[in-house]
Amino acid sequence: MSADIHIGDLADFKAEHSKERSARNLAAASLRFGSLIAFAVILTVFSLTAPYFLSIGNIGNVLGQSAISGVLAIGLTIVLVAGGANVVTGGIDLSLAANMGLSAAVYATVTQLGYGDPAAVAASLLTGLAIGAVNAAAVVFAGIVPLLATLAVMNVVAGLELVLTQNTVVPASTDFLTTLSASDAFGIPVLAYVLLGFTAVVTAIVQYTPLGLRLYAIGEFPDAARAAGLPLKRLLAGAFLASGLCGGIAGILSVSYLSGSTTGSSEMLLPVVVTALLGAVFSRRLVPTITGTLLSALLVGFLVNGFQLLNLSSTLVSGVQGILILIVVSATTLLRKREI
Amino acid sequence: MRHRRVTLVSTGVSDMTAILPPQPAKRPDDIIRFDRVVKRFGGAQALAGASLAIKHGTIHGLVGQNGAGKSTLIKILAGLHQRDEGTIEIEGQRIGHLTPHLAETHGIHFIHQDRLLVPTFTVGEALFLGREPRLPGTPFLDRRKMQRQANETLADYFGIKLPTHALIGELSTAEKQIVQITRALLDHPKVLVFDEPTAALVRREADILFRLIRRLRDEGVTIIYISHYLNEIEELCDHVTVLRNGIDVASTPIAETSANDIARLMVERDIADMFPKRRVEFGEDLLKVKGLTAANRFSDVSFTVRRGEVLGITGLLGSGAKDLLRTLFGLERAQSGHIEVAGAADRACTPQAAVVRQIALVPEDRRGHGVALDLSVAENITLASLDRYTNLGVLNGKRERRDSDDLIKRLQIKTAGRDALVRTLSGGNQQKVAIAKWLSRHSEIYLLDEPTVGVDIGSKVEIYTLIGELAERGAGIIVLSSDLPELIGITDRILVLFRGRVTREFISSETTTDEVLAESTGASERLRHVG
Repeated sequence: MSADIHIGDLADFKAEHSKERSARNLAAASLRFGSLIAFAVILTVFSLTAPYFLSIGNIGNVLGQSAISGVLAIGLTIVLVAGGANVVTGGIDLSLAANMGLSAAVYATVTQLGYGDPAAVAASLLTGLAIGAVNAAAVVFAGIVPLLATLAVMNVVAGLELVLTQNTVVPASTDFLTTLSASDAFGIPVLAYVLLGFTAVVTAIVQYTPLGLRLYAIGEFPDAARAAGLPLKRLLAGAFLASGLCGGIAGILSVSYLSGSTTGSSEMLLPVVVTALLGAVFSRRLVPTITGTLLSALLVGFLVNGFQLLNLSSTLVSGVQGILILIVVSATTLLRKREI
Repeated sequence: MRHRRVTLVSTGVSDMTAILPPQPAKRPDDIIRFDRVVKRFGGAQALAGASLAIKHGTIHGLVGQNGAGKSTLIKILAGLHQRDEGTIEIEGQRIGHLTPHLAETHGIHFIHQDRLLVPTFTVGEALFLGREPRLPGTPFLDRRKMQRQANETLADYFGIKLPTHALIGELSTAEKQIVQITRALLDHPKVLVFDEPTAALVRREADILFRLIRRLRDEGVTIIYISHYLNEIEELCDHVTVLRNGIDVASTPIAETSANDIARLMVERDIADMFPKRRVEFGEDLLKVKGLTAANRFSDVSFTVRRGEVLGITGLLGSGAKDLLRTLFGLERAQSGHIEVAGAADRACTPQAAVVRQIALVPEDRRGHGVALDLSVAENITLASLDRYTNLGVLNGKRERRDSDDLIKRLQIKTAGRDALVRTLSGGNQQKVAIAKWLSRHSEIYLLDEPTVGVDIGSKVEIYTLIGELAERGAGIIVLSSDLPELIGITDRILVLFRGRVTREFISSETTTDEVLAESTGASERLRHVG
């Protein structure tokens, strides 16, 4: 094709917009760098006040302790990506924590019944997937807002868990679980490696494949995705399935971490939601990303850990989290509104 | 809808040839053929047997007033709506059920008015969404290739380079449009449909677009070009089809017609009797606007409205006419110029100040802004003027009831009674309630934004009568309308806005719809500038 059309005048109107554009970029960049710097400051303060804080062992500990909530938050992130980051009308999966609880209960019960680890793993993952499938059906095919659909599913799942466990602790101890909850030669928990490996796999899929790009498209601007000929329903349903599967995986991790299934999984829900929402601040485009969610999960993990090391009440952490989320959500909302 | 059919039949004999849908002889060089396509939405007929024949490798203009059926036709072509009757042929092949996917396999692509690009994507991602290049032998995205190809295509077609990492949301409107067009070009389209592509562009950006469209035509792409700007149609298109009331009233090579002829074909006539015009003596100046300017929307607008006068304002989407009305009410800010109400300068330009100065605005989006759905008809009608119905803070129910009954009767609001919830009314009747609400509040200046959109013919006449009565009472009235026969019928003067400027002022009794339409669509701009 020839390039015989030379257009000088486009340069003018580009200049008009570049000033505004750079101002907005600056604001977005400062928010992102600001949060990275805040992260670094927190680490520095803790490491200065609590010498043990930055040791390999402690970092491994934080990673290991963040594994369960990290996996859940990453699952939620997938739904946030594909459903859009609007908390009220967009993607959200409130059933994740309950999902983890039921999957854990299933695992413990299956081993109690005398089956081996492979059967228990399969049962947990299938439980997670099934819950994801119900969510997908309610949201995609029945057209219920995710917030309500997954809220309803959360209640059903929590009820099932109570029925299954009779509201008691179901102990579980197998070789596989022991291996998962052990530490390696350097004193780093296996769960830490699990979290990093899991993040790597999901990051590769969500951030680096066409599939991931399409998930972002249907979440950010469904009309554009439709115009590009993407199968919106299938992709969104897939996202809920994936998040359900993450719930199942988190269930297995939690059985190993707690040596059984315990009640009270629902307490995980809000911290996980906060973690996933906070993650957007670590991306240049202010959208939820898997790596951003990992960073955010670690930020929360380090906060809790640091407070413990300093003998501060860990209840402060939820206050700090709350303030963070207010700042982040309002900043991203303001920044993104101006783009439209 | 019914009255329009009647009008069609009663149109002059000279037009009959144009009114009967021309029967395009079957020619193999038509890439798209619609034959007597009918589409109904509920009771309303959006297309009443429209035919369209588009030749290979031409730029085909599609024009018509709002509601003429352009967008319905295009949505059927895109597979977004299904026709009720009629046949469609694409490349000589008869099509049964046309889906978006099928349209795409035939190489038909659309540049939509609203730019369908994900705001948080880079240019490369937006361009290649749905057909992403992968790193060879892996399932992973080849971002570098996307970026390179994006840059190459943009440079080739437009000679521009967008910042590699810029996100769509950070681009200007024109840049987004360029990306959208480029996206379609990557598919090597056979047919490219542009829906009002220049509405958001300034002139020199539009020129770039025209050069591109001509070049695509020369490369063999067929273009369908929809625009309200008749001067663009005349300048750019090879062939033009005019739609009116869901029927193609004319289809001719552009060489055999002119923008003025097209304008004439677009409007219907013979409805002068609808307007109960009354003669009102004008009083003193009520509203004086001098040099009013709002950046990017309109500039240097001056006019005066006297007591008893009805001033019409019209202009296309993006002409600034609507912004002007909103600025007068204080909903939008002006940068310079001033507004004088009854001799006093209006400094505080806020809606509250406007209400104090007895200015009333009847907005177009009445269901969004105009009525409270869960209040009764009577409550809605008196809502804006409760102070008139209160004695020492207590509502005077009797007067409230009497006045609302009166308005319900005069506007022929179809309701079970004044106590029925507005939610239970039909859309048209909800609109009437909204109008009644502002009419019950006796103001000095009325700003009416498309007062009769979506209202049936009988109620239209009622609304016109009311406007006349308000004028008689000494109010100043500004009517914004794109219904030109209505505007000419009920106003005394008409200001035409075109791309943010008042290009002409007409005396309503001395002008015609053709003339006003030609002015507002820029058809006459060309003559003035070129000639």
